[in-house]
Order: sequence, then structure tokens, then C-alpha cells
Amino acid sequence: MASAVLRAVARWYPVPLVLAVWEVLSRTGAVSKRLMPSLVEIAAAVGAAMDNGDLLFHAGISLGRAAAGYALAIVAGVLLGVAMARSRLFDALFEPLFSFGYPVPKIALYPVFIFAFGLGSLSKVMLIFLECLYPITVNAFYGMRGVDRVHVWAAENMGATPRQVFWRVLLPGAAPSIFAGLRVALPISLIVVIITEMIGESRGLGYYISYASASFEYATAFAGVAAVAVIGFTLDRLLVWLRNRVIFWERGAAFIGAA
Amino acid sequence: MSAAAQRRAAPLSRARRTALGLVLPLAALIAWELSARIGEVPSYLVAPSAIFATTWEMLASGELWQHTRVSLLRALGGYAIGGACGIAMGLLAGIARPVERFYDPVVSLTYPVPKIVVLPILIAWLGAGDASKIAVITAAVFYPTFINSLYGAKGVNRLYVWSARNMGAGPLRVFAKVILPAALPQVLAGLRIGLALAFIVMVACEMQNSRSGLGHLIITAEDSLRFDLMYAAIVAIAIIGFAGDRLLLWLRRRALAGQAIGKEGAHG
Repeated sequence: MASAVLRAVARWYPVPLVLAVWEVLSRTGAVSKRLMPSLVEIAAAVGAAMDNGDLLFHAGISLGRAAAGYALAIVAGVLLGVAMARSRLFDALFEPLFSFGYPVPKIALYPVFIFAFGLGSLSKVMLIFLECLYPITVNAFYGMRGVDRVHVWAAENMGATPRQVFWRVLLPGAAPSIFAGLRVALPISLIVVIITEMIGESRGLGYYISYASASFEYATAFAGVAAVAVIGFTLDRLLVWLRNRVIFWERGAAFIGAA
Repeated sequence: MSAAAQRRAAPLSRARRTALGLVLPLAALIAWELSARIGEVPSYLVAPSAIFATTWEMLASGELWQHTRVSLLRALGGYAIGGACGIAMGLLAGIARPVERFYDPVVSLTYPVPKIVVLPILIAWLGAGDASKIAVITAAVFYPTFINSLYGAKGVNRLYVWSARNMGAGPLRVFAKVILPAALPQVLAGLRIGLALAFIVMVACEMQNSRSGLGHLIITAEDSLRFDLMYAAIVAIAIIGFAGDRLLLWLRRRALAGQAIGKEGAHG
């Protein structure tokens, strides 16, 4: 019991340490209160924003948009990645689009998306979809391609039909790589939803944060930042948990690797 | 690729592959150009030929280069600071357990948080100039370079370290001759992810609040319905992002000459 507590302290001590340094810097005025409001003030702002429902309202909207774009990207990205890995024609048709488009910041297209899909949620969802599509497709592709030939031959040798080979050998073999792609895309979906809401919107956490800091309510802005942090962290943990349940035969990847 | 499928289709020749790869982009471009000429599309879809003409004009007048320079300065400034800090601290954490123990909870808590959320607060504090944008880009670049450097240094085969020690190499020599080269591929992988992030955050910052730069150009062009100008800026951003990535890949090939190189091309 005592050793468990000690171990937890040894693991997590930096977090309270950082928070304490923050509080000291804020209280002594070494760093402007605008940049680092006292944690007590931030906590009060979180409480107030929870009470009047602002935080939950805006968080719900941001989360809905991010989830919609992300879900679309999963469906299209995995399908496309699998098709490209399985068919030479698809590979030849789409590979240049992905290898050339990958390093290009798609966020620059947001104004075009506003004209095409309107100022509301749809333009944001589509941009999230586009940004997330790249890492998911590319990882699904490499995952499918990376499956050991010997496993496929062994399954075929034992009389597996092509369908069985796909569902029982190829897809499980590609699963770790597919999840790696999902993990790369998750924070991207949050970045895009926040930044598009900051640029032009009157709802969502991005708007909430930029509005609060434009009206000099820094503690409230930090309440919004805290909400984004909690959402990002929770979703990431959920994804890791899901990954370890689905890919029960392979441990690890608690953290992000080479991606 | 199943063995059966392999037997069915012979590999496509290089020329046919390239030709097939051009089908979709060319078809899209031609359809776009034709429909813009005939006038069947909304005004925000400017004909590609008009975009090309505007881009060329702005290149000649130097206006495009001016915005590009400002944007590049911000992106590369943040990239240099964030990348240097990330690599230095990541390598240090990879070889010193107490340092890793210190960073691990803080980094794993803040990693999934989009760093862009602090932009409005930084703007309020540092002003709408370069400093606030460079600060956000620095934060965004730090995480992937830190994590990859950490895992690169941690993943070095212990046997190599032991044998170097055994042969009388001091700690500094072990670091420079064994750990650094072995960690290099992963460090470079982190730098590549960081570069892509630096450009995304650069555009995002400039769109949100700026008086110069390519992101700013996009927003002002959009506001004044100069769509050709908007696309010229988008093209410039795409070229920067692509060229930066290729440059990094080229550097990686040079730096890792003699080492086995993993997947290349599209893989992040």
C-alpha cells in the first residue's frame, strides 16, 4: 500500500511541481497575470462556465464536429488504403495524390471550403475529414502492404478463401498500423476544429477561447484551454484503450512512436 | 497483396504507373478549367489558367515572395527553436532516467492537446506580431521531436553501448559515436512530423490574426473576393510544404548514407 503510494508520487510528482511553479510565478507577478492567471482564478472560471452551461455547450459543438470529420475520415481512409494496397490500378491512380498531398497544409483551403460548404459546421467537418484522411489512408496502406507474405501463403495453403484471408489474416495484420494512423489523426482533428472555430464562427471552443481572450477574460480563456486539454487527453486514452482491446495480441504503444 | 493476385497481374511498368497517376489530377484540372470557361461554376472556382497567370504575375512583382518570406521566417524560426529544444531534451531524457521520469507525465498529459489553443492568449500577451506565432509553432514542433528523440535514444541496442564502453570509450564518445548515430533515423522522423506541423500552425496562426504572411494573404484575398489571389497564396503554401518535406527527405538520405533506410515517400 505504502509502496504503491510512493510509486505514484515518484511517477506523477512533476505535475504538481509544474502547477506549483505556475502558481508562484503568477502570485509573485514574475510573469504577467494575462499569460498566467492564478490557478484558483482558472478553477473559479471553470466552475462558473460549467454552472451557466457555456463550457459544455461549446465543447459539445466542437466535439460533434471533430467526431463527424474523424469518423468520415476513418471510413474513407481505411477503405481507400485497403483498395490501394490490394489493387495495382487504385495504387497507381491514388498514390501520387497522397505522396504529393501529404506534406501540404490542407488548412490553407479553409476559405474555399467556406464558399463551397457554407460558414457552418459542414465546412469544418469537411476540412477535418480531408486533414485526417491522409495519415489514416497512408497508414492503412502500409499496414496492408506490410503483412507477412508467409502468413497469407500459409492461410491459403490451409484452404482459406480470399474472404477469409482478408478478414482473418490481412486485416488483423494491418490493424496495428491502422491504429497508429488513427492516433496521428486524432489531435489533427482537434487542431483543425479549434482553428476553424477561431477564424470564423460564433460557437465552439475555439470561438469561446478567442472571444474570452479578446475581451481580456484570461481566466475564462484558460477554462476553455483546460476543456480542450481534457477532451484531447481523454480521447487519446480512449483510443489507446480501444487499441489494446482490439489488438490484444500485441502490447505497447502507450505512447506515440515514429508514427 | 495476396499471392493469387500477384500471379494474375504482372507489375505495371514505370511509364504506365506515371501515366495512371496523372489521370485523376489532369481530369480534375481539365474539368475545372472547362467548367470555369463555360461559366457553370460559382465564382470562387477560378479557372486554373487564371490562377497560374496571377501566380506568375505576383511572382514577377515580388509581392508573393514578400509574404512567403515573412511566413517562412516564422515557420522556420519556431521550427529551429522547437526542434533544437525537442532533440536536446529528448536525447537527454533518452539516456538519463531521472530526466525521462520528470518529462514523462507532463508530456503525456499535454501531448494530445492542440497547442494552437493558447494562440489567442499569446497574442494578447505578446501582440499580433511574429513572437506569438513563433511561440506557438515552437510548442507544436517540440512534442514530436522530443518524443521521437527520446525513443530513438532509448531504443539503442544496449550491446553496442556496452561494447563501446568495454573498448574504453568515455561517456561523451559513446554518446557521439554510438547513441547519436543509432538514434538519428528516429530523430529525423520526428523532425519530419515537426516540419509538417510547423507549416500547418503557421498558416493557422496567420489566418487567425496577422497583418502579413501567406495565411493573411488568403484571408484578405477572400474578403475582397480576389479568388485568383487566394489561390496563388494557396499554391505558394502547397509548394513550400512540399519542397520543405522533400528537402528534409534528401537531407535524411545524406545523413543516413550507409544506414538502412525505412519506408520513404508518403509515409509520415
